[in-house]
Amino acid sequence: MTFAERMLKIDRRIIFLVIGFCTLLPLLYPVGLPIKISPEVRGVYDYIESLPEGSVFLLSLDFDPASKPELHPQAISLLRHAFRKNLRVIAMTLWVSGTGMADQVVTQVAREMGKESGKDYVFLGWSPGGTAVIINMGQDLYGAFPADYNGKPTKGLPVLQGIASLRDVSYAVSLGAGNPGVEAWYVFGKDKYQFELGGGCTGVMAPGLYPLLRSGQINGLIGGLRGAAEYETLIGQKGKAIAGMDAQSATHLAIIVLVIICNLFYFSLRKQAKQQGHSGA
Amino acid sequence: MAVETIIGAWVATGLTFFIFSFLYKDNPLFKLAENLYVGVSVGYTIVKTYDTVIVQLIWKPIVENGEWALLIPVAIGTLMLTRYVPKAAWLSRYAFAFIVGVGSGLAIPRTISSFILKQIEDTIRPLMILVPGDGVTFTWSLLNPASSLNTIIILIGVSSVLFYFFFSVEHTGPGKVVARTGILFLMIAFGAAFGYTVMARMSLLIGRLTDLIEFTDPSYGRPSLWLLGLTILILVVMARRSSSNPPEEQ
Repeated sequence: MTFAERMLKIDRRIIFLVIGFCTLLPLLYPVGLPIKISPEVRGVYDYIESLPEGSVFLLSLDFDPASKPELHPQAISLLRHAFRKNLRVIAMTLWVSGTGMADQVVTQVAREMGKESGKDYVFLGWSPGGTAVIINMGQDLYGAFPADYNGKPTKGLPVLQGIASLRDVSYAVSLGAGNPGVEAWYVFGKDKYQFELGGGCTGVMAPGLYPLLRSGQINGLIGGLRGAAEYETLIGQKGKAIAGMDAQSATHLAIIVLVIICNLFYFSLRKQAKQQGHSGA
Repeated sequence: MAVETIIGAWVATGLTFFIFSFLYKDNPLFKLAENLYVGVSVGYTIVKTYDTVIVQLIWKPIVENGEWALLIPVAIGTLMLTRYVPKAAWLSRYAFAFIVGVGSGLAIPRTISSFILKQIEDTIRPLMILVPGDGVTFTWSLLNPASSLNTIIILIGVSSVLFYFFFSVEHTGPGKVVARTGILFLMIAFGAAFGYTVMARMSLLIGRLTDLIEFTDPSYGRPSLWLLGLTILILVVMARRSSSNPPEEQ
C-alpha cells in the first residue's frame, strides 16, 4: 500500500482529534485575530443606533438550546445595545423549547444593565400558533399575549404604554434557527404591518437569507458566531463570540489544509493508476 | 456559587462527554445521553404547552374572566382527538379542514408576495443606474450588492439555472453552454452553503468547548476534568470487555 493510499484510508478519529486540538488550543491561548465588520451586521447596529430613546425594540428569540452557541451571543449583544440606548425592549419567542433559555438571557442582561421588568422591558414568553402569533400580534398585541412570562397582565405595563400592535414597533429583530424565524417575521409581520426588520441566524441558514437582504426585505443580517463577534466588536463589549473567533479561523484553516491534502493524494493515486494502466497495456 | 448551578455544570459536562464519546464509537454512554435529550425535550415541551395553552389561554380566561367564546376553538381542537375513536374519526376532518383552509389562506398570498414577486422585482433591476446630473452610470464594485456588475451576474445566474432545469429543449450547442453556466452557479451556491454549514458546526463545537473550559474552574468542582477521566475509563473498560468476549459466530 502506498503512502497516498494509507493516508486516504486514515482512521477518521485522527481527523476528529486534529479538529478538536485546532479548536481547543486557540480557546486556551487566544491570538486575537482582527475582526472586520461586514455591511450586513453594521446594518442592524446602525439602525438601532439611529433609534431615539424610548423607541420600541422587539427581539424574538426563535431558537432552542441546540443553536445556543451561535445565537445566544447575538441575543446578549443586541440586548446590551438596546438597553444601553434606553429603548423599550419587548422580548418573546416563537419556539416553545427555547422559552426558559430566552427568559434566562433577557433577565440576565437586564439585571446586568440595571433594567426593571415591566418598566424598561418585558418578556412575553411563548404563545402557540407559530406564524399565526405574528398575525395576531399585528392585530392586537394583548390578544396574543394577555400576560407576560411571569403571569403579569400585559395591559397596563408601563413598557407597553402606547403600543397596541406590531405597527407601533420601531424595529424588530428575529434571531432564528429555523421556522418560524426571520422569514416568517418578514412574510407575516413586516410585509403586512410595515415595521423595519433585521435578522440574526445560524450559519447554516445565512446563505438562504441573503436574497432577503439584497432586496431590502430585511435591513441587516447577523450570521452565526462570526456575525455575533462582529456585533460584540461594534458595541465594544467582548463576549463569547469574539473569544471563539480564533478557534473558528484555526478550524477553517485545518479543514482547508485537509481538503487540499486529500485532493493531492487522490490525484496522485489517479495518476499512478493511469501510469499502471499504460504500462500494463 | 448556587448549588443548582454547580449541579447543572456537572450534568451538562457529563452529557457533553457522553455525546462526544460517539466520535470514538457507538456506546451505551452515548445512547444514555441521546435518550435523555429526547426525553427531556419532549417532557419540557409538553409541560410548557400544557401550562401556556390549557392553563393560561383556555382555563383561566374561561373560568376567571367568563370568556365563553373560547369554547368554540376548544371544540374545534377537541375534534382532532376523535382520530382515536374509529367510529367518530370522521369528525376530525372538520378540524383539519379548518386548519388547512385558514393556513393556506394566510400563507399562500403572503408567500407569493414575499418570496416570488419581491424577488423577481429585485432580479429585474435596471442593469445601469440613472443618476440625476451624471446620466447613466455603470458601477463595477463586486463588494456592493447593489452595483450594476452584481445585477448582471445575478441576471445571468438566475437565467442559466432556470434554463438548466428546463428539460423540454435538448441541452446541445449554445443551450449546452447556458446549462453548463447554470451548473457553475449551482456549484458556487452549494459551495457557499456548505462553507456556512461547516462554520456553523464548528461554532457549536466551540460553544461546547468554551463551556467545558469554564467548567474546569475549581468553583464548579472541576467537572470537566473528573468527568473526562471517568468517560475515558468507562470506554476503556467497555473496549477491554468486548475484546475479551468476542461476538459468537453465527
